[in-house]
Amino acid sequence: MEYASSDESVYEGQKLSHPKSWVTKYIFSQDHKTVAIQYSSIALLTGVAGVILSIIMRLQLGYPGVFDISADTYYQSITMHGMIMVIYLLTAIFLGGFGNYLIPLMIGARDMAFPFVNMMSVHFYAISVLLLFGSYLVPGGPTGAGWTLYPPQVLLPGTPGYDWGIIMMILSVAVFIIAFTMGGLNYVTTVLQSRTRGMTLMRMPLVIWCIFLATVIGLLAFPALLVAGVMLLLDRVVGSSFFMPDIFQFGQHVTNVFGTEYEGGSPLLFQHLFWFFGHPEVYIVALPMFGIISELISCHARKNIFGYRMMVWALIAITAVSFIVWAHHMFVAGMNPVLGFFFATTTLIIAIPTSIKVYNWVLTLWKGDIHMNVPMLYAIGFIFTFLIGGLGGLFLGNVSVDVELSDTYFVVGHFHVVMGISPILALCGGIHHWFPLITGRVMNDTLGKVHFWATFAGAYLIYLPMHYLGLGGVLRRYYDFRGLSYVSESLTDMNVFITLASIVVGIVQFIFLFNLIWSYFKGRQVNSNPWRATTLEWQTPSMPPSHGNWPTKLPIVHRWPYDYSVPGALQDYIPQNTPDNIDDYES
Amino acid sequence: MTMRVNMNTHSNSSLIKTHIQDLIVDWSSDVSTFKVRWSKAMMWIFLISDTFIFGTFLISYMAVRLTVIDPWPDTSQVFALHVGGTDVPLLLIAIMTFVLISSSGTMALAVNASQKKLRLRSGVLILLTAFGGLMFIGMQAFEWTKLIVDEGVRPWANAFGAQQFGSFFFMITGFHGLHVTIGVIYLSVIAKRVLQGRYDRLNDYQIVEVSGLYWHFVDLVWVFIFAFFYLW
Amino acid sequence: MIIALIFVLFTLFVIALNYYSISNQFWFPELASNWGTMDTATLVTLIVSGVVFIFISLFVCYCLIRYRHRDNHRAEYEIENNKLENFLIVFTTLGVIALLAPGLVVYSDFVNAPDNAQKVEAIGEQWTWSFRFPGEDQIFGKTHPKHFSASNSFGIDPDDSYGMDDILIKSNSLHLPIGEPIDLSLRSKDVLHDFYVPQFRAKMDIVPGQLTKLWFTPTAVGEFEILCAEYCGVQHYNMRGTVIVESEEDYKNWLSNQVIFANNRNEKTVTDLLVGKDNAQSLGCIACHSLDGSVGVGPSWKGIAGTTRKLNNGEKILADHSYLEDSITQPNDKVLAGYPPIMPSYDLTHQELDEIVEFIESLN
Repeated sequence: MEYASSDESVYEGQKLSHPKSWVTKYIFSQDHKTVAIQYSSIALLTGVAGVILSIIMRLQLGYPGVFDISADTYYQSITMHGMIMVIYLLTAIFLGGFGNYLIPLMIGARDMAFPFVNMMSVHFYAISVLLLFGSYLVPGGPTGAGWTLYPPQVLLPGTPGYDWGIIMMILSVAVFIIAFTMGGLNYVTTVLQSRTRGMTLMRMPLVIWCIFLATVIGLLAFPALLVAGVMLLLDRVVGSSFFMPDIFQFGQHVTNVFGTEYEGGSPLLFQHLFWFFGHPEVYIVALPMFGIISELISCHARKNIFGYRMMVWALIAITAVSFIVWAHHMFVAGMNPVLGFFFATTTLIIAIPTSIKVYNWVLTLWKGDIHMNVPMLYAIGFIFTFLIGGLGGLFLGNVSVDVELSDTYFVVGHFHVVMGISPILALCGGIHHWFPLITGRVMNDTLGKVHFWATFAGAYLIYLPMHYLGLGGVLRRYYDFRGLSYVSESLTDMNVFITLASIVVGIVQFIFLFNLIWSYFKGRQVNSNPWRATTLEWQTPSMPPSHGNWPTKLPIVHRWPYDYSVPGALQDYIPQNTPDNIDDYES
Repeated sequence: MTMRVNMNTHSNSSLIKTHIQDLIVDWSSDVSTFKVRWSKAMMWIFLISDTFIFGTFLISYMAVRLTVIDPWPDTSQVFALHVGGTDVPLLLIAIMTFVLISSSGTMALAVNASQKKLRLRSGVLILLTAFGGLMFIGMQAFEWTKLIVDEGVRPWANAFGAQQFGSFFFMITGFHGLHVTIGVIYLSVIAKRVLQGRYDRLNDYQIVEVSGLYWHFVDLVWVFIFAFFYLW
Repeated sequence: MIIALIFVLFTLFVIALNYYSISNQFWFPELASNWGTMDTATLVTLIVSGVVFIFISLFVCYCLIRYRHRDNHRAEYEIENNKLENFLIVFTTLGVIALLAPGLVVYSDFVNAPDNAQKVEAIGEQWTWSFRFPGEDQIFGKTHPKHFSASNSFGIDPDDSYGMDDILIKSNSLHLPIGEPIDLSLRSKDVLHDFYVPQFRAKMDIVPGQLTKLWFTPTAVGEFEILCAEYCGVQHYNMRGTVIVESEEDYKNWLSNQVIFANNRNEKTVTDLLVGKDNAQSLGCIACHSLDGSVGVGPSWKGIAGTTRKLNNGEKILADHSYLEDSITQPNDKVLAGYPPIMPSYDLTHQELDEIVEFIESLN
């Protein structure tokens, strides 16, 4: 039963019925672990498509005119690449994948609060992916307006997919939002309401805090995207003018599907709605990756995360402030100039809690006992790349500096470092770390190191040069730079170099996927808790955990999740569910 | 060793600080933050998210209304009913609001009855609420028909003024009407289960309160739509 | 150990790249306006962030070496250190203020154009630029989309007396005097665009349905490229113009040779060919079709009329008067080989079509 009280029934946890057939075990599974793997598999497949699209784009930029890539194809590729990577890969895998797997295990629950809704959410996600790729099948192909889908161009000829592609895109995103809401309600309710005995909020591992707060952000930010999408769809389908002003294009006044003219709409309204969602969205991706890194660093440096309380407060501060910075994406959009002062200030304010987190990770390493295994490598690499990316953000948040850097490759370099390389490093580090729990085997170390170093080098070889392209004024969303006299030959050469590097790094990502699949079948089997971690997910009786996680009674938590290297203790770790009287440490 | 949260124990800590500390201890306590059942917590969280949806619709509407160049129609004339020879402004809306608010009243009575485990009374009251919702939908449909067929209001144009008037009207009332319709179906299912004695067998009527939350939300949204779209 | 050293190497790589780039060509294009203050703000940010980056990176590398796992070595158990945390918060806040203050000072300069600035208007459309000066009365005539037509491509209200002396620049080439602040108003006919000259640094989106503004003072003579910096369709990368900064005298000379709105509408004073050229410029044809034979997105008009050309399906076609007219009304039916079928169709009157085709034929 779902009573939230401190009586005996809490030790039992919720009653689950165990599935017997193949269909209810693997297709319509209500086990959070299976749902997590379903989410992750679909997300990784869409990621593969995203990488292929990025290679198409880079081939055009490095070797314009050599490959038969038309401007239409190019712009459709950047749009699909952006939407896939941000929403269908990163958001889905961090929240749907990691969130689903880790939350019940780490808080000591048998499953999510509403397993049926959980199951529905992954199926809706799958439908949204089908709709997204369905836009390749409609006349005109996918929309090519950039992942930001700005009106009026997105609905007008002159932009690919302005007739059917945009409809498919909006429908896909709307279904995704429904899937996300269903999943998100589950994660928030589960974290708030169904923790085990002794598991206070301040004893939750940081990764759970991060995923919880990221979900809260999502539940409050995705509505703005849904509304913007609905209004854009109506502009397209019923000829309303929410975002469409009076337009004179190609020598004639533009009319809608019913033959009347558009008029009176505001393109800036769309931008405000989109970025009210868009900025919190990057924190939806960033927060889980922060959490994963916290777990990896503390476990593999055998040291408690430095300043746990401050980390939690920093997360709450980031969550709150993330809702009042959105217009730093619109500094040169033509909004009231006074807003520039406000949003520049809030943007640089959010740098403060973020940097506290970076300091605390570094201070966790300090005086630690660092084991340089593959997950730790990924975590260290993350610190470096996130540092670069975050510092790049300082340039763009400072409004007057942003005036000259906006819409240039500086922006592209910045967001690819913080939203591309850093999440991939966190993702791969997290998968390496939790792979033994999920499968009972470890992933191959050599392949992991090769993948890590190539990807890490990629950050420097691909995206650091992009910052310089941006300083040189090279603009984004340009299909061809030939004929521009201010783009010097050295900048053009740099474009070629970036293309070559990105092709190599793109192919290297398949090494990770190969490692994942190969190790599932042939990886070295290990005993439980190979990393000797303190958190609850490693304390299940079997590895991988069975349906219901703890077959008999739920664990009771007696301590915080970071009792590593406790002075006077024999082992260098004490699991969370170890009773107080063991290891007689007194505060 | 338990990680003792390093709470300030200065003898001269202020009253506010103690209150905040107590709040933190309460909300971070083990097992559950809010001492309610999971379904009720989830409904509240869903409603917060839905509030953002309607809030965004209304804020967008206000932003557009403030910036269109064409004049905005006078709602008291557009939404007037011709009764007994005179135009009565906003009559239909007033009736719709009365019906919806009354249905919230019957819902509150239903929740009250369910807490006392009165099967028949609470079931009937839920049905009355659903019926109120159905009447609301019917009147909204009548309003739409009148505007579309008689006045020629379309999402892309209307005879009264700014084109966005029609599009916002249909979009916002459409989404609200959709939520009311879902609520009517939801409440009918709950009412059926109540009357069949399902919750007597489980000895647990809490679902009525959870569905009541949803219905009050739908009503509250209508109040805001009524205020911002019709009265302003 | 080795790993820590590799990370140190990467850090050094970043520092080296920065040093090499700033001292060579990977830096801003040559400044030609008063907005060097933006460059300074960027440099300040680079220095502050550079110091932070170097310090933290090297500290991480130090930790990796000093605190690597060894036998009989244990980590320290320290839950938190509030003093250190508070110090770090204060320190970071001061750093943020140090960055924000100069940035906001420059920004407040950016949003306040000087009173004596010369007014100019830039109009963006898919995919070309045109410009307007307010003329002697220094007041722009009112515009409204309903006035747009082939003969009034600026959409100026013909009943507004202020608009009569507005100077119209239909080519995408703008001349400006050196040293004078320019108050640039920005208007779009169709979709979002952005006016950007890299050497001037400043940029601002152009939003259809509203007016946006930008100001700068050109400080160097020369020819500079105008680029569109907000995605505006498949030809976004091709939406280019020129700003020519010259002496006051040359600029005044050029300005006096431009047509004003009152004269532009009086078709009796303009020959048919010029009307055709006029229409071609207003409708944006020359964004894709060059007049001098140079390669563009579409076939150059120079020397095309009357020749036999190959279509993209292999057939041969004579580019006569009716073919040229069809290419405007149904452009993607018969596309020349080697060109993409992306031209939009134009709905023009028979006379307008005639005038444009006659202009094309005159380019032989």
